[in-house]
Amino acid sequence: MSASTAASNEPATYVVPYRPVREFLTGPIASISLTLILVLAIGLFAAGPRFLSFGNVSIMGNFLIVPLVIASFSGFALMSGVVDLSIGSMVAFSAAVFAKLLTLGCSPLAAGGASLVLCAAFGGFNALAIVGFRANPIAATLGMLTALRGIAWVIVGGSGRINAFNMELFTLVNMRVFGLPLFFLISVALILFATLMVTKMRVGRHVKAVGGDPQAAERAGISVGGVRTFALIASAVGACLGGIIFVAQLGSAGRFTGFMLEFQVYAALMIGGYSILRGGVGNPFGGALGLIVVAGMTNILDLTAYSPYYLNIIVGILLMSAVLLDRLRGGDAYE
Amino acid sequence: MSLNGTMEGVAAAGRPRLDWGRWSAPIVVAGAWLALIAATSIYRHDFLSHQTLLAVTFTMSVVGVLAIGQGLVAISGGFLDLSQPSNLILSSLVVIRLSEAGMPLPVLFVAGILTGMAWGLVNAAIIVFGKLNPVIVTLSTNFIGIAALYLIFQLAQVPNNSDIYYFGRASFLGLPAIWWPMLALILIVGVFMQRTRFGRRATAGGGNRFAAQVRGISLRKTRFAVFTIAGGFVGFTSILFVSAAGPIEARSADLLLLNVIAAVIVGGIALSGGRGHFWMLILSVGLLSTVPTSLVFFGLDSDSQAIFQGLILVVAVALDGYRSKKGTP
Repeated sequence: MSASTAASNEPATYVVPYRPVREFLTGPIASISLTLILVLAIGLFAAGPRFLSFGNVSIMGNFLIVPLVIASFSGFALMSGVVDLSIGSMVAFSAAVFAKLLTLGCSPLAAGGASLVLCAAFGGFNALAIVGFRANPIAATLGMLTALRGIAWVIVGGSGRINAFNMELFTLVNMRVFGLPLFFLISVALILFATLMVTKMRVGRHVKAVGGDPQAAERAGISVGGVRTFALIASAVGACLGGIIFVAQLGSAGRFTGFMLEFQVYAALMIGGYSILRGGVGNPFGGALGLIVVAGMTNILDLTAYSPYYLNIIVGILLMSAVLLDRLRGGDAYE
Repeated sequence: MSLNGTMEGVAAAGRPRLDWGRWSAPIVVAGAWLALIAATSIYRHDFLSHQTLLAVTFTMSVVGVLAIGQGLVAISGGFLDLSQPSNLILSSLVVIRLSEAGMPLPVLFVAGILTGMAWGLVNAAIIVFGKLNPVIVTLSTNFIGIAALYLIFQLAQVPNNSDIYYFGRASFLGLPAIWWPMLALILIVGVFMQRTRFGRRATAGGGNRFAAQVRGISLRKTRFAVFTIAGGFVGFTSILFVSAAGPIEARSADLLLLNVIAAVIVGGIALSGGRGHFWMLILSVGLLSTVPTSLVFFGLDSDSQAIFQGLILVVAVALDGYRSKKGTP
């Protein structure tokens, strides 16, 4: 508490504090595992054994596809030290564009390509404001969140829904391998690849370095602006893929597609060891475990027929607890 | 305290020098406002009407008082209070329920302000005791608040023929009665922030918190006060809001937040804290409150308005970032 304020006035001699128990309990792996166990326990208690039945797990897997895909991309933005709050609206936007193009008679491939290009352009716009003009990322992407939601609404139009059911896409997205949805396995593979990138590959380490200490990274010859631009565009592309998968799954895009998804994804990532306030921490695998926790809670509320708004309340509380945990792990204290 | 003179120096040091005079910013904003009014009235001759006046002054009153609260948070180094929408709706709900019970107007004012302050106090407690970043805390409390409000009510409205209903429709010197409290509050807070100890402490804490701490300013106490008072302003807004707005629901105030943040930034109050003048809010709030009505006259529906309001915020935030990049050597 007061030690950190005193330290900031003196020339720093930084000593790594030795607190093994606290470090273990607040460490990313331990905290996420404890939360996961808690959710499993609550699920078994509240919903009974059907919570872990194969059918239910498969439903959760289907539900998890979009968040996993988004998280594996936007995790890079968080890691490089910029937050992209506009991903939920980006999902709505890409879903609306994709569905609209399908109804206009485009092939799924062309429609998907067009939405990817558009989303990447908006990601570039985010990057221009945040990297080029040094805008505050949270405030800037909050504006983008509203703007994109508005564009999505305009595309969806007065009926509030674009029906674009496509049999090929539907069969593709519902294909099963070993009893699990194929796309769920693909999204898990994506997460594993992202984890590999962050821990073992040069690109991932550059991203981590930029988030951890931008000045040091700049001096080491890494282009901080370039990495952040790449991360913001990647996050837009991830959200775009999420929107396309939504349309394939549901056969339509609506006014509330992807609504508040950004909070659920970021809350999950933060429980899983990422930080909104500082880059360079966390890894996609932990983030995926966080997403499983949120999906598990959604599922429990579904099975016990509670209002989904309770989920938002729980997620909000989890988000704050996650920030608190992050501070205990060594995140910046706000004083 | 004798430290106050020194504190002024600290606060002034954080202020970047404008190359083209201290009046440039007000002139630019006022010019943009006039240009917007001129452009819209040339496009549509019926823009300059009583209806427009009512719509613009209503938005101005609500956004103006919210912007005071947001500005206090920003100037004192608290970045943003993103929970203003749910605080506004909660206070409005309390005011509506009390007015349904037939309470007189002064009681509603006190109840609204107290509810807002209570919300602000909760935010402040989490921020100060948890040492958590205000942006994340208010983001989460807003998220929780909106969800909780959805569980409590669907639609609510002040009863016709109640005191507050007539207050919202009264006018004074040709302008709606709800507009004048906003003007008075901006003027008072403008003087207050420059001339009182609390105002200077808050500004100093936002400019350079280490310097402020060394000078013996308790950042914790200042933060507590700032977030609670900012909540109080939101509570005050709820009276103006419900008196003239139609039925409200849990998300009614969402788009207001963007206007408020943009108004604070366009008004020259830095998101990084420590500099800004509250009087500028009159102009920036005026400009940004005219935008939605103008958009309607240009034929855009509420869906497309969201696009513009979002983009205005992005541009304003980029401007703020560019300004502070230039301001810090």
